[in-house]
Amino acid sequence: MKTSRKQSMGAKIFSICLWLYALVSLYPLLWMIFYSLKSNEEIFVSNPFGLPATWQWGNYVNAWTQYDVPLFFKNSLLVGAGTVLVTIFCALLFTFAISRLRWPFSRSVRTYVALGMFIPVQAIMIPVVQTVNQLGLLGTRWSLILPYAAINLSFATMVYFGFFQGIPKEMEEAACIDGANIYQTFLHIIAPLVSPATITIVIYVFLASWNEFILANVLVGGVAKLKTLPLGVLFFQGQFTTDWGSMGATMTIASIPAILVYVIFSEQVERAMTIGAAVKG
Amino acid sequence: MFKKAICLALAILMVMAMGTAASAEDKVVLKIYAQYADDDTKVPYDYAVEKLAEAFPNVELELIPQAQDDGATLLALAAAGNLPDIYQTGSGILSTFRESNQIMVLDDVAQSTGFLDKVYPSCETFLYADDGHIYAFPYAGQEYVLLYVNKALFAANGLEIPTTFDELKHCVEVFTAADIVPLALFGQEGWITASMYDIIATRFNAGGIKALDTGAASITDEAYVSAATVLSELTQAGLFQNGVTTTNYDQASELFKTGKAAMFLNGQWYIEDATKALGDDATWIYYPAYDAASYEAGKAVFAGGGSVSGYAVNPASPNATLAAEVAAFISEKYCEAKITLRNNPLVALDVGLTNDTLPAMMKELVAAIPAMTSTTAFTWGLTNATFTDSIGTWTQALVSGQYTVDEFVSELGEVMAGM
Amino acid sequence: MKRYLSNPLAIILFITPTLGLFTIFVFSSILKVFYYSFFDWNGVGTAVFTGVENYSKLFSSSTFATANANGFKFALVITVYQLFFASIFAIAVSDRWMPFRKFFRTAYFIPVVLSVTVVCQLWTSILDADNGLLNALLRAVGSDSRQNWLGSRYGAIYALAFVNAWQWMGYQFALIVAGIKSISTEYYEAAEIDGASATRAHWHVTIPLLKETYFFCLLVSVTGGIKAFTEIQIMTGGGPGTATHTLTYIMYRAAFVSHRYGYGLAAAAVLVLECLAVILLLNYLFRDREAKQLRRLAGGKP
Repeated sequence: MKTSRKQSMGAKIFSICLWLYALVSLYPLLWMIFYSLKSNEEIFVSNPFGLPATWQWGNYVNAWTQYDVPLFFKNSLLVGAGTVLVTIFCALLFTFAISRLRWPFSRSVRTYVALGMFIPVQAIMIPVVQTVNQLGLLGTRWSLILPYAAINLSFATMVYFGFFQGIPKEMEEAACIDGANIYQTFLHIIAPLVSPATITIVIYVFLASWNEFILANVLVGGVAKLKTLPLGVLFFQGQFTTDWGSMGATMTIASIPAILVYVIFSEQVERAMTIGAAVKG
Repeated sequence: MFKKAICLALAILMVMAMGTAASAEDKVVLKIYAQYADDDTKVPYDYAVEKLAEAFPNVELELIPQAQDDGATLLALAAAGNLPDIYQTGSGILSTFRESNQIMVLDDVAQSTGFLDKVYPSCETFLYADDGHIYAFPYAGQEYVLLYVNKALFAANGLEIPTTFDELKHCVEVFTAADIVPLALFGQEGWITASMYDIIATRFNAGGIKALDTGAASITDEAYVSAATVLSELTQAGLFQNGVTTTNYDQASELFKTGKAAMFLNGQWYIEDATKALGDDATWIYYPAYDAASYEAGKAVFAGGGSVSGYAVNPASPNATLAAEVAAFISEKYCEAKITLRNNPLVALDVGLTNDTLPAMMKELVAAIPAMTSTTAFTWGLTNATFTDSIGTWTQALVSGQYTVDEFVSELGEVMAGM
Repeated sequence: MKRYLSNPLAIILFITPTLGLFTIFVFSSILKVFYYSFFDWNGVGTAVFTGVENYSKLFSSSTFATANANGFKFALVITVYQLFFASIFAIAVSDRWMPFRKFFRTAYFIPVVLSVTVVCQLWTSILDADNGLLNALLRAVGSDSRQNWLGSRYGAIYALAFVNAWQWMGYQFALIVAGIKSISTEYYEAAEIDGASATRAHWHVTIPLLKETYFFCLLVSVTGGIKAFTEIQIMTGGGPGTATHTLTYIMYRAAFVSHRYGYGLAAAAVLVLECLAVILLLNYLFRDREAKQLRRLAGGKP
């Protein structure tokens, strides 16, 4: 009796901690929206954290008139979708080959691709831009999609690898006995089994591409029709002064779709995981 | 039926493609990498674009707003062979690109467009790089580091305007006791900490940080060590606000404008803002020095200065000559806009315009200019990029109050030895 | 079966897209990093071969020592913070009877969704010396804190690491949640029958079975710490002085601001080698544990 009450006391404290942490995680959303409706004076001096004292809707007007928000938005969306498709396609095939198929060097090849995890993008920025230039991709959307996908591949294959490892060997054996060829096995049996991983990667890769600034600035910063949303902040950062409120508006505009994508896909993750668990359990 | 539809679609596409090709032919689109974010950069740019449409009806500008990254984007674009047609450049980028032939020699265009004839004699030094060639069309003239003060706060606390470091220290004590920030400094940015050091260093050696950049002086010279010692002592006394190294421009400016700080350090371009916020209470003062005699003598020596900078042209541009003419035109229009629309008569060109409604501080400055014997440079006017980066970093270390003068001298000495 | 799984055509078809894309864009770039680290070069002009000079300059600079120490501190903070909170939260929301579990799952992931700029601006305000929320809270509970969290020479790096740890925790959390989902419920049922408490069941079932996931999380945290950059660039600019420089930040400043591209790449090359050392070390550690575990399992089961 005594121990169970003690336990429920501990559970209560634990649950309060969970709530507190969740609130601290959600606060930035509110903060960002408040921020986007304030003046520099409020942001830095009088009121950095609360509701705006005077609501500066003008910040959104500024953002909307300063650059072509729908166009930037469309570009971000296309680049994000393209990057996700290319990354998933390549990584899924590749990880299947290195984790399920038997061939010499598969381990070394895996380590080779993992190398990409350790290189900061700033270090390879110039060579990447040169490569894009040499391939004649400058001025096209591929100039962002292909480097983004290449950079995300290391990460994607590593996440997949963990999941592929967890699939019992009997899956392919059964498929083989049923007469499916290796491509059918991959497509109909293995690929659906790792869908929780796929969706996790989709979310991550999409967000990474959606928020990417450094390469976008150099690769499409000079191409008006291809610019992506993160480049919008450049219109508010002066050499000396910055219009922080309008920058906040720009960032809010850019964040909302990202949050939506996450919420929608996390639902999918949940569902996919339940299916996955059913297959395995 | 289906085939017909496809043929029709293709035909429409082709017509559309031809249509766009035709309209692209009679308009030349030039890409321009320029600052475009606040009034000081937007107003002149918009003005220049408006005038350009009249003078060059066949030219259309495509703006690439400049990233505030100390030239990193421009360097990356150059390395990839993807520079825009026209770009704004400072001295550091200019000397780097000169080596790789990615900046066009503009001597002929300066002549043919008449740009050369309009340059003020005092600004000719900003036109020619050290090899005697023109690589950029300047629009900014001489620029100065000004020490702005809020006279009302000094009066309210019974203080005189300081002329020596000791008087300044006394002011710091009084202001700190009254919970007023003595000097608001946006120490997040290396250029302003370098200028802070520069206004002290110029009291000891008129060459200031510029002499260090060119190698005419060494950081271990007594003058520079003394300057570092003074800055360090003032910092320890509480000259700057709490958290100086993470304070950005807008925060520091807000402190000064709202009367929470008694002094502020910035370039002369801040005159307009300071006047707007504080009216007659705001003024600029001569920098304090170590004694009365050096204070008087130092009135002729200013920190800051103009630099070889402005609009440059990518020689690989398919329309390089046209781009150069446009660049010269834009620089000229910037001068006009700065005088008439921004109350800033300190431009590089004589465009035949005057402005009678200058703020008092600007009038005082203009009156003080003839007596000046020397200036130094802002960090973007320094030529050695390695030194520029290091002087910003280590002067910031000094104003953080957490590094010693010895560390400052030895670290900078190490960098300069490797230059 | 063996022939079925070593179909050469299938293998080539499957690995070519990734190998091609990766080699063209990433690996060739890494090679260039190493190659140009032996040159005196500003990035655009003529490159002059100088042998190991960039490396000897780098190793003898005081900033290099600072940067390595900072990388270590950064990695330590984010690894401990993220693995600790991510595991606890993941286990908590994996409990089917937990109320509002979907809300929690979304909430913990939200910081990952936001752009780094937003998160850095937020924490810069919170950690501000004068107007900051943290100091206000500390003052509210009676301390007279005017601590300058991001301006402290020796403390700022921990504040930066915390911000990074806080933002990306949700990401490791998501990976661990996904991992737990993939564990068959039989294991827990077995543990329950054995009378183990939920905590013990997780300690003995969840964590060992998620070895691959943890290996990956560790790798991400540790290498993320070594190559930390964005928080530093936005929040402190490497300052005060060089107090919050990391290898990536040295690389960035040298290559793009002070026009010593070759020198910057030397720092990047060291960074890659350090990360490789970490991967080897982790590989070794995890393999050792795996062997022990197998032995124990073999001994324990009749």
